[in-house]
Amino acid sequence: MTAGWLRAVAVVLGVAALFAIPRVTGNEYVLALGVSFATFAVLSGGLNLVYGYTGLLSFAQVGFFGIGGYTAALLVTERGWSLWAGAAAGGVLAALVGLVVGYSSLRLSRHAFAIVSLSFALLCLIVARDWVSLTRGAMGIPGLPIPSMDLPGGLRWRLAQPADFYYLLMGFAVVAQAAIYLVVSSRLGRAMRAIKWNEPLAQSQGINPLSYKLLAIALSALLAGIVGGFFVFYLTIVDPSIFDFYYTETMLIMVIIGGPGSFWSVLAASAVLSALPDLLRFTTDLRMVLYGAVLIAAMLFFPGGVGGWLRRRRMRRWRRSGLAAR
Amino acid sequence: MTALLEVRGLTKRYLGLTAVDDVSLEVEAGAVLGLIGPNGSGKSTIVDCISGFQPANAGRWLLDGHELTGLPPHRIARAGLTRTFQAVRAYDELTLLQNLCVAAQESDGVGWLQALGRGSRLRRAEAGAEARGRDLLATVGLSEYAEAPAAILSYGQRKLLAIAASMMARPRLVVLDEPVAGVNPTMIRRIEQAIHKLNTEGVTLVIVEHNVDFIMSLCRRVIVLDAGRKIAEGPPALIRSDPGVLAAYLGQTRAAQLGPGLR
Amino acid sequence: MDLSFCLQLLLNGIVIGVIYALVAMGLSLIFGVLEIVNFAHGEFYMLGAMLAYFLTMNARLGYWPTILVVTAVAVGLGCVLYEALLGSLQGEGFERSILLTLGLSMVLQNGAVFVFTTTPKMMQTRYSYSNVSLGDLRVPVMRLLALGLGLLAFGALYLILYRTRVGKAMRGVAQNRDAALMVGIDPRAVSRLAVAIGVGLSGLAGAALAPVYAVHPLMGFSFVFKAFAIIIIGGLGNVAGAAIAAVGLGVLESFVGGFFPLVMVDALAFTSMIAILLLRPQGLFGRGVRV
Repeated sequence: MTAGWLRAVAVVLGVAALFAIPRVTGNEYVLALGVSFATFAVLSGGLNLVYGYTGLLSFAQVGFFGIGGYTAALLVTERGWSLWAGAAAGGVLAALVGLVVGYSSLRLSRHAFAIVSLSFALLCLIVARDWVSLTRGAMGIPGLPIPSMDLPGGLRWRLAQPADFYYLLMGFAVVAQAAIYLVVSSRLGRAMRAIKWNEPLAQSQGINPLSYKLLAIALSALLAGIVGGFFVFYLTIVDPSIFDFYYTETMLIMVIIGGPGSFWSVLAASAVLSALPDLLRFTTDLRMVLYGAVLIAAMLFFPGGVGGWLRRRRMRRWRRSGLAAR
Repeated sequence: MTALLEVRGLTKRYLGLTAVDDVSLEVEAGAVLGLIGPNGSGKSTIVDCISGFQPANAGRWLLDGHELTGLPPHRIARAGLTRTFQAVRAYDELTLLQNLCVAAQESDGVGWLQALGRGSRLRRAEAGAEARGRDLLATVGLSEYAEAPAAILSYGQRKLLAIAASMMARPRLVVLDEPVAGVNPTMIRRIEQAIHKLNTEGVTLVIVEHNVDFIMSLCRRVIVLDAGRKIAEGPPALIRSDPGVLAAYLGQTRAAQLGPGLR
Repeated sequence: MDLSFCLQLLLNGIVIGVIYALVAMGLSLIFGVLEIVNFAHGEFYMLGAMLAYFLTMNARLGYWPTILVVTAVAVGLGCVLYEALLGSLQGEGFERSILLTLGLSMVLQNGAVFVFTTTPKMMQTRYSYSNVSLGDLRVPVMRLLALGLGLLAFGALYLILYRTRVGKAMRGVAQNRDAALMVGIDPRAVSRLAVAIGVGLSGLAGAALAPVYAVHPLMGFSFVFKAFAIIIIGGLGNVAGAAIAAVGLGVLESFVGGFFPLVMVDALAFTSMIAILLLRPQGLFGRGVRV
């Protein structure tokens, strides 16, 4: 069995195990951790796509997340849409907004894009808080109803239990990770990395940086928007706190520790960092202080994260295998 | 015979300094043209402009009659004009073969959806690129490192890799920006051989260099620049004895010998 | 259209605009010289305000000594920031610097929340309840002092940048780093000074504004994003442009807030920034002389 087959089997087993958890334990705390992991897996996966693979530092993910949440909530409560349609619409809207934000600022520079993505996230927060007629203001839309989804085969799934949301979010997380993996393991992902490593070289080889950057942004926004639409129904409320900087900081830490551009390490980091803080019973403030310290240390000493460390080890083994060029 | 590359009236100014001053030139298909000149004569600026990396203030350039003026670098590359960089560029984390496959991927007609679908079209294209990559690696003498990460190459070997990469997409014309700068003499010979071999396979080349001997032995026609202007053009033997060229290269020494006031 | 009301709005706008300018100019200077976007810039503003609060309320220091001490401490902090963190990062890619300063901001901000809680504190000085009458206007003295301090800082910054050798060196590095290196300017010394001045301005702004509005650990957070928007509007790296854009924004916010109380005043900075990016991406004043 080659390494590739081994890995595929491990993935299948892992996914099966994740889906088996609600059968094994009805413990709501465990299910809540699972939902948190699934949500952050999608968010950090998208951020990894934009920052880790394409090299674009972006703070806009949380904006897409919240746009998806509000859109789904409004469409379901005011227009009677089903949950999946509402979430899908949220994702599409988020992707369109992402394209606009990306296109307008990438023309200028990556510095500008980073700053604009940050301001965009903040603007979302301000709009959610102050544009009361649209978003109901600071109180948000509480008491979201139990959503339903029409499944193929005519079944109607009422998501009344925490386990239902667990299955929904975990299922979507698997789909999202598969989509991201499909892109990054293809020549599209190769082009994105070329742009990140050496943009002028990529340009001189016919690669159009703007289209790949926009692709990464649009895909990450689509996924974040959809998961946002699901997440707010799990919370049964959508309010401006969906745009909290806390989400940005957490997903950044997951990508940095996992290693920008490393698919599996970032996924693993998402799992560990979703479970860890609650298990360690930190207050939010201290947790953020710790994250900040980790971020500083990572930037100074190991910017590649775990994934980067693994890559360097592989490179060193290559050199030692005797094919050095001198 | 109409030229493959036509540059007309190219001008580039930086903050009041005119780096390239109304330069026109033509390159015939199949030629190896040398572009030489002292430091600051505008050689690299010309390369940056015609490959789309710097906007020009004035002028036009066309490849086989197609207008390239004002196009972004990736469009110019796809139109058939590729280049290498003075500070040699490569994807260190990829193997040599992967480096070359990246260079071919935008020109094999495989769209995004086909790339994601992993169908037979993609596989054929990738197989073709790999075969061509191995061919080019053999031409430049790097076959043994095909599966090695580019990071392990020496400086001169990286230059060879860059030259190979510039050929992957079957360009009409390749501009090599200082292909032997900072390279040891043995490697210079290898690069010269590689360039010669590639030219015999039908690629037109423009070589920008400081190393005058290298240019003289490789190129059938040479253009000399000084202070942004073309000051001489012709076969190497003629250029070698051109007084203007000598003045451009040795002018400073002369002025130093004869004292101030002569300029 | 009550004239005195408009003048009041104008004055308030100029005061807040000048303070915005202090923070934005510092941010712009650091970006221009080091190509680093200092995410933690707002936390130094907050720390300046916090320190001013404690010096005034607990140590019973007078207003002017407080201002001096806070500014000196901020300048010192800037030097430490450069030596400990930013200096090793130069030229290493600007994403790393953003994330590093973001990490620093997380530490400082959440640390402050943990230590001081989020309850806002009001700072009282001996001028706190005095007003000055200018014609029909009654202007709180604290605001005038804040304005005065800001203008003093402008003047000092101008003198440093345009009349001293090291200031010229700073401008040189901001315009063209490679050329500056060739001429023999020591980039480390210049960078350290730029960070020291930038952080110093931020701390001073915090101390100047502390008596006017409430002091709390999250005040830097909202402030710094506006500063980002301001430097984009003025032109990335253009210090004078940042100052002008800042005062303009302050006045605009004041008037919009005065006449349209239900409109999102906070969003003005960001919508202006987006408009500028779509219409004139290099900012109102461009990057100065830099190509």
